[in-house]
Amino acid sequence: MNDVIVIGCGPAGLSGAIACVTYGLKVTIMDEFMKPGGRLLGQLHQEPTGDWWNGIKVSEQLYQQALNLGVNIRCGVSVYNLEKEDQMWKVYTSIGTFEAPFLLLATGAAEYPIPVPGWTLPGVMSIGAAQVMTNVHRVQIGKKGIIIGANILSFAILKELQLAGITVNHVVLPEKNAFSQNAGVPEEVMKSLLNAAHLAPSPLLRFGSSFMKNNWIRKMGLTFYPKKGMKVNGTPLLLRKAAVEIIGEDQVEGVRVIDIDINGNPIPGTESTYEVDFVCIAGGLYPLAELASVAGCPFQFIPELGGHVPHHSESMETPLPGLFVAGNITGIESGKIAIAQGTIAGLSIVKHARKGNNSIDNQLQQAIQNVHSVRKQAIIKFNPDIELGRSKMNELWESLYVKNETPGKMTG
Amino acid sequence: MANSENMIICRCEEVTYGQLRTTVDKHKCTARELKLRTRAGMGFCGGRTCRPTLDRVLDSFIPNFSPSEIPLKYQPPIRPVSFGRIGEIHD
Ligand SMILES: Cc1cc2nc3c(=O)[nH]c(=O)nc-3n(C[C@H](O)[C@H](O)[C@H](O)COP(=O)(O)OP(=O)(O)OC[C@H]3O[C@@H](n4cnc5c(N)ncnc54)[C@H](O)[C@@H]3O)c2cc1C
Repeated sequence: MNDVIVIGCGPAGLSGAIACVTYGLKVTIMDEFMKPGGRLLGQLHQEPTGDWWNGIKVSEQLYQQALNLGVNIRCGVSVYNLEKEDQMWKVYTSIGTFEAPFLLLATGAAEYPIPVPGWTLPGVMSIGAAQVMTNVHRVQIGKKGIIIGANILSFAILKELQLAGITVNHVVLPEKNAFSQNAGVPEEVMKSLLNAAHLAPSPLLRFGSSFMKNNWIRKMGLTFYPKKGMKVNGTPLLLRKAAVEIIGEDQVEGVRVIDIDINGNPIPGTESTYEVDFVCIAGGLYPLAELASVAGCPFQFIPELGGHVPHHSESMETPLPGLFVAGNITGIESGKIAIAQGTIAGLSIVKHARKGNNSIDNQLQQAIQNVHSVRKQAIIKFNPDIELGRSKMNELWESLYVKNETPGKMTG
Repeated sequence: MANSENMIICRCEEVTYGQLRTTVDKHKCTARELKLRTRAGMGFCGGRTCRPTLDRVLDSFIPNFSPSEIPLKYQPPIRPVSFGRIGEIHD
């Protein structure tokens, strides 16, 4: 019998399991991928200190630690439904049904697709697929390609492709429309990129940061943005070109692009074609919360967190008894934060299972503080307003689930 | 959008943007009805690829956004599963 079933063997699930097992709880982790580590497996970047963040190494350490402590880890297992019966969670999986009083959902994030005419041709993939093929499966995705979508994730993965010796000729924007929304508006893209200046070491962006946050200067910068683009580690970032169609007979042969103004409107007569053999579409990330939804957890749309997130407290509990969440399912952030959040969730479960000693509250508080400090030092911020998103959820939690009988607050 | 009419939105069921748009024009339907009529999001992958796009397309046709609700409801099974598996007990 398990005390805890953790769904997702990424950084959040692994660290959550480690916290639980440390206090004597019996824990099983299930993950549908064939290897443990979740999205850590694709991550490879250099920090400003010069140190490398090597996701494969980090995941190996967490995995070994969890195994040594006695966590049962099952890879290649998909969870397709959750139900609560007699105080027990029933977990329906591709290898049968399991039960536990406590569940930790650490299912991570998924990518927003941006459809582009021709996007079903072989050779077109999401930027995340390019990352997994390159860094996990070690398969060369093509000889020369293009990335559609300029955001933190596409820059981080562009760098990884370059490290693997794969040529990316250009980064362009998607066409402005109902699917791409702000990702097709140069001004909005510029605003979000200013927070990723360290990943895009190009003069304008670096020079930008504080300076370019000024509206007027930003508009000027974009209006006079060089036609040939600004180089990001050697790859031109074309903020004033949008992809209108991916062309090819049986596979990708090229991408038709058009010049756009700073609001993303196409300028007629400026079309041209880039020859490529692969295309990566980078639409950004959203929390993958399908299991929280089928379990019956309420949701809130918080754009700063990446989309719809299950209601949860700072201690990672949901309104459903025994159901906890951690990592990107609660909002899009980097791997280090997922690890720190997993610890909170694990300690919270220990507390609810009445396993911890008197110091558990204290440790929980420390774990919460730790997330705040890791967040302050985070280099990769998927959303610059992440703190605002987090406080929106905390306020919502306080107002809905914390009984706080202040007379002034009563409504009639 | 140039060439968008033939652009596939739901890959599993091969539903195009144009089909979604004409169905809405013709039936003035809700998001759920549109899904049932066209089968967009109802294929093998269970909407894993097209769901967010579908949400955005639907919202652009029929603005109906509520922050506390997920536009298209998730239904179990959220992953493809064989009939043989359903109902077995392991532990
Ligand atoms: C494509 C992509 C690229 C990213 N690149 C970076 C990057 O370069 N740098 C960075 O800092 N962050 C990156 N991230 C963000 C990343 O989500 C976090 O860094 C971190 O990995 C989140 O940890 P997690 O434990 O919450 O989820 P994940 O690491 O995503 O782990 C979740 C696990 O849950 C499993 N799972 C999900 N649903 C089920 C189910 N129904 N049944 C069984 N198993 C399931 C998945 O297989 C997965 O292994 C990326 C995310 C994505 C999606």
